[in-house]
Amino acid sequence: MKQVALEYHRSVGRYLAGRAITGTRLGGRAAGSVAAGLAPLRVVQRPDPTLPASGWTRVRPLLSGICGSDLGLLTGRNSPYLASLVSMPFVPGHEVVGETLDELDGLPRGSRVVLDSVLGCVTRGLTPCASCAAGKHGRCDNITTGHLAPGIQTGYCADTGGGWSRQFVAHRTQLHAVPDELTDEAAVLVEPLACAIHAVRRADVPTDATVLVIGAGTVGLLTVLALRAFTKAGPIMVIAKHARQRERARELGATEVIGSDRALRTLRRKTGGFVVKPEIGEEFLLGGADVSFDCTSGSGLTTATRATKAGGTVVMAGMPNTDVDLTPVWFRELTIVGGYASSGEDFPDAISLAQDAPLGGYVDAVYSLRRWSEAIQHATSAGRLGSMKVVFNPRLD
Amino acid sequence: MKRRWFAGLRDDWRMVRQARDIQGQTRTPRTAQPHELVHRPSPFGTNWARTPGVQAARQVIQTGLLKPVTWNTVKPDVEGLDHLDNLDGPVVIVANHSSHLDAPLIIGSLPWRLRRRLAVGAAADYFFDKKWAAVITALVFNAFPIERRGSDRRRSLAPQLLADNWNLLLFPEGTRSEDGWMTPPRLGPAHLCVQRRVPMVPVVLRGTFAAMPRDRNWRPGQHRVVVRYGKPIHPEPNEGARALHARMMNALARLWAEDELGWYGSLRAQAKGELSLPTGPLEITAAESESESGAGSTDGRPRPVVPSGSWRRVWEASRPMPPKRKD
Amino acid sequence: MSRPGFVLEVDERTPALLMHQGEGFRLEKLPMGSRVIYPPESLPGLRDVDEEIRKALAAPVGRPPLSELLYAGMRLTIVFDDLSLPLPQMQTPDIRQRVIEHVLEAAAAKGVDDVELIAGNALHRRMTPAELKRTVGDRVYRSFFPHHLKNHDAEDKENLKEIGHTRHGEVVEINRRAAESDLIVYVNITLTPMSGGPKSVSVGLASYRSLKHHHNVQTLRNSKSFNDPPNSAMHHSYNRMAALLAENVNVFQIETTVNNDMFPKQMDFLNKREWEWNLKDQAAFLAVRRANELVPPAKRRQIWHRTAAPYGITGVNAGAPEDVHPITLKNVLRQQLTEVNGPSDIGIWGLPYICPYNVNSIMNPILVMSLSLGYLFNMYQNQPIVRPGGVAIFYHPVPNEFHSVHHPSYIDFFEEVLAETTDPVAIETKFEEQFATDPWYIHLYRNSYAYHGVHPLYMWYWGAHALEHLGDVIFVGGDRKTTERMGFRSASTLQDALEMARERVGSSPTITYQHTPPIAMADVR
Repeated sequence: MKQVALEYHRSVGRYLAGRAITGTRLGGRAAGSVAAGLAPLRVVQRPDPTLPASGWTRVRPLLSGICGSDLGLLTGRNSPYLASLVSMPFVPGHEVVGETLDELDGLPRGSRVVLDSVLGCVTRGLTPCASCAAGKHGRCDNITTGHLAPGIQTGYCADTGGGWSRQFVAHRTQLHAVPDELTDEAAVLVEPLACAIHAVRRADVPTDATVLVIGAGTVGLLTVLALRAFTKAGPIMVIAKHARQRERARELGATEVIGSDRALRTLRRKTGGFVVKPEIGEEFLLGGADVSFDCTSGSGLTTATRATKAGGTVVMAGMPNTDVDLTPVWFRELTIVGGYASSGEDFPDAISLAQDAPLGGYVDAVYSLRRWSEAIQHATSAGRLGSMKVVFNPRLD
Repeated sequence: MKRRWFAGLRDDWRMVRQARDIQGQTRTPRTAQPHELVHRPSPFGTNWARTPGVQAARQVIQTGLLKPVTWNTVKPDVEGLDHLDNLDGPVVIVANHSSHLDAPLIIGSLPWRLRRRLAVGAAADYFFDKKWAAVITALVFNAFPIERRGSDRRRSLAPQLLADNWNLLLFPEGTRSEDGWMTPPRLGPAHLCVQRRVPMVPVVLRGTFAAMPRDRNWRPGQHRVVVRYGKPIHPEPNEGARALHARMMNALARLWAEDELGWYGSLRAQAKGELSLPTGPLEITAAESESESGAGSTDGRPRPVVPSGSWRRVWEASRPMPPKRKD
Repeated sequence: MSRPGFVLEVDERTPALLMHQGEGFRLEKLPMGSRVIYPPESLPGLRDVDEEIRKALAAPVGRPPLSELLYAGMRLTIVFDDLSLPLPQMQTPDIRQRVIEHVLEAAAAKGVDDVELIAGNALHRRMTPAELKRTVGDRVYRSFFPHHLKNHDAEDKENLKEIGHTRHGEVVEINRRAAESDLIVYVNITLTPMSGGPKSVSVGLASYRSLKHHHNVQTLRNSKSFNDPPNSAMHHSYNRMAALLAENVNVFQIETTVNNDMFPKQMDFLNKREWEWNLKDQAAFLAVRRANELVPPAKRRQIWHRTAAPYGITGVNAGAPEDVHPITLKNVLRQQLTEVNGPSDIGIWGLPYICPYNVNSIMNPILVMSLSLGYLFNMYQNQPIVRPGGVAIFYHPVPNEFHSVHHPSYIDFFEEVLAETTDPVAIETKFEEQFATDPWYIHLYRNSYAYHGVHPLYMWYWGAHALEHLGDVIFVGGDRKTTERMGFRSASTLQDALEMARERVGSSPTITYQHTPPIAMADVR
């Protein structure tokens, strides 16, 4: 059997060209077109993936999200750091709700599942490393070895396939059954929600702390949701660019939503302190938020470090892909915390939170795989177009 | 962008043209009429009046019309023309002023030499107010406008005319006398003479007030009038305008008094310091009489103080000239 | 002779009328029958200003001659009006420079060593060294800057002195140096009937603590108008404060007034009545207006702000503040007052590029509000030119632009406070304290060139009386979002604006256009 998939292949030329173009100001604005035109992505007919070992199942994706990190990949913005942690060619797609096609322990064939895409020791047939043993498989050290090709997650690994296809394989430990009440559209948000919950838990937000969330895309909004659900944060201020995002942020519990140009000034009014403008470079605050979450693909990190009060915490919730002046981290004695993927109870908590949260309408743009180029363009300017999450439905033609 | 700009220009143009005629003028809105701008004519150009053609025409008018009419209206006695023998101009002729006859009398009595290039200073607000009046005045008298008040005074044509070798006839009182007596003359002519180093010829006209006073345009009758030229006053080196002015006033006072006292009598009276400017039966204070002229009121003979505007001043001034003295 | 002001009634002969609109101007055809208030023509300036100054100092009213008040060993403080006067700035030499030079000449002759010069800027931004120099002149600047020529600092607690309380319980607190001087010489320019007199020292040198007694919504709503001191609650408060001051400090006030020559010769048409424009004026209008459109916005602003007015001085008077000021007011009204017969349904004003608080700066939306509903609406005596419930139409683009150095608290006020409410009382109750005591704003006021934190709120209060009085406010050519944020409406043309006003004033409203600048003050009978 052969099946249709979107495959990311190795093309140094396209990678560098994409990176070069989107690195410029004008190219950055046209990132969608660049990604659609230059990305080393193609529709392929490829054999169905084979099960690598027992404990694995084939999964048929029902909906498969396009994540910010995917876009970074396609535009060449992602850091080369990650290049050796993937194996090519691979099929992207790690935000997946699907149906299992094989019987597994406690997971009958045909179960509706969501995917925890991290490929840790267990999935690779290895004795769990210290991190995996502690339930923190996101920190696994063995992502390049074992019986799978290297790859940090499903969607970056040549052997597993990925969500942007009609079929891929997943290990039992990666799969979480979805209760019937949860629609496909909500379920496809479970993976990013789990990441958001993870990031929020990484920060240890003090009671009544002033929190700044930079960016109101999927990650930003779900971070607000997670903050309200799992912390006793005080005022949450969200920097949002687009009107629809502002509404969503308020719905989810943001105290104040600010435009990106006024962020520092508004924050100063709320938290006190001084705005200082260096002769070169951006303004910063003496004072500011207790905890900041950068939920952008890196561009918000500068703001985060400049808007967080001395001794505060900056959480990197989105995948960073820009250089940042770290002087404020040193001078303000900031704690920078990374928040990658999820661990422990994050996924089950995400599933239960997704059932209650007002996430209706988040998935409002569904594309077939063949229309990937449009889908990517749409996803790149989702905020501007009022969309929260753009997904593939691989079953569509 | 460019198109928008041009469209804007077009719209602005239309707006500017609203309610305006082809010359860009608009009629004053009705409610604004009580607040209309006081019409200030632009200065009347008189250069055309000194072009050769117009000069020729003027000679014809002056000799053929002006002088005969004047000499028919009054009986002028012209005295002292011999003082002008050695003068070729430019000179500044100054005279007392009490009648419209004054200028024609002087023009008519001047030797050709001086009259040929004579310009007359005339009040801008009187003679140059209406265009037709301005044209006639400039044509007949070669008049040029003199601003009697306001800031335009400095832009007088007089220095330029002197520089161009024109003789000037000026009436330093600035206006015709109300009552036939002299009013304090202005410093202007003295300034001019000092500045341009030209001689000044004092002239006194007597009887013109009686013959044709202010507000009376035409009164034919054989009044006797006297046109008396005095000795030219040459500005001394380093002499100031005030000093020259004082000499002018002395000269005028003496020329005036010659009718009552005779030539020698006037000289005697002047030497004794008994003469002063004929400002009528009115005490004048030392300040008004321009200091060193000596023509103060300190002549020891108290005169009755007659207030300005009193009938008695006119009465005195309009007394007919006695018949010519036979010396 | 300059002609008196008058009210024009637009008829078919009336050409399109000039209307200021921010950093530009336009012609507008007003409906037939509209009334247009023209101020008296510019009065002739004094021929010999220095002589007049000498005379004023030698023969003051209610005080002995200045030279008799000066003696060796005394503390002399010279205070002068800041950058907010006159508008536009005066061509150099500034009248303040001339007066100060005379005062210093006299002080030097008497051997006064301890002299301090202070700009009476209250909560306004500090003047830059260049601005100070332009105002007081090079000689004064070089002799006194920076140690003895300063801006007043209303937040320098140590250098403020409480004088006492008025019988209404108002705190009077002014600059300590001035308060402890043997003589304060105040050098003033009275541009509108609002300024000068009792206001000079009591406001110019005061602190927030003291200012809040008259700069508040209650007082401003009862100042009808604040340009008519006898009917202005604000001035009653100034008077009480000034009376208290008079008991404690010795003020020698020198007041000057200017005529209406606000634009240089090349732009003479701005000072002329439209039906008297000759071809040259019409060509100049077209040329200046089209060139103005071509210039990039930043450059355009710079050019406008650099254009200084060739004012003539119409009066210099000195003496006791309470004795001098009535003379000064008479001079001001002589130049500005025009009698108008009753109010109308709609008032129209063209807003110029400048107001007291954006000299060399940007006219932000809040300042547009204070200029329109504050200053211009209040240019009346007896009653406003618009009837209660009527509509005000202003011409201004109202761009959402702020000067980040000069107006930091304005930005926050616009973004945060106005997003929540535009009601002056609500704003006063909820936000005044916050804005007045915010340490960052205070820091910027004291060390940078920022208006005090509370200043944008004051600007809003300025319009409180108009907001209460008017039924609607429409900006022709105004940015839609910005005007909406302030609770106003925008229209693209006058026709649209009149259409919008219909719901308030019906289809055949009476209209009055206050033709300004130059400054016109309406005496509405």
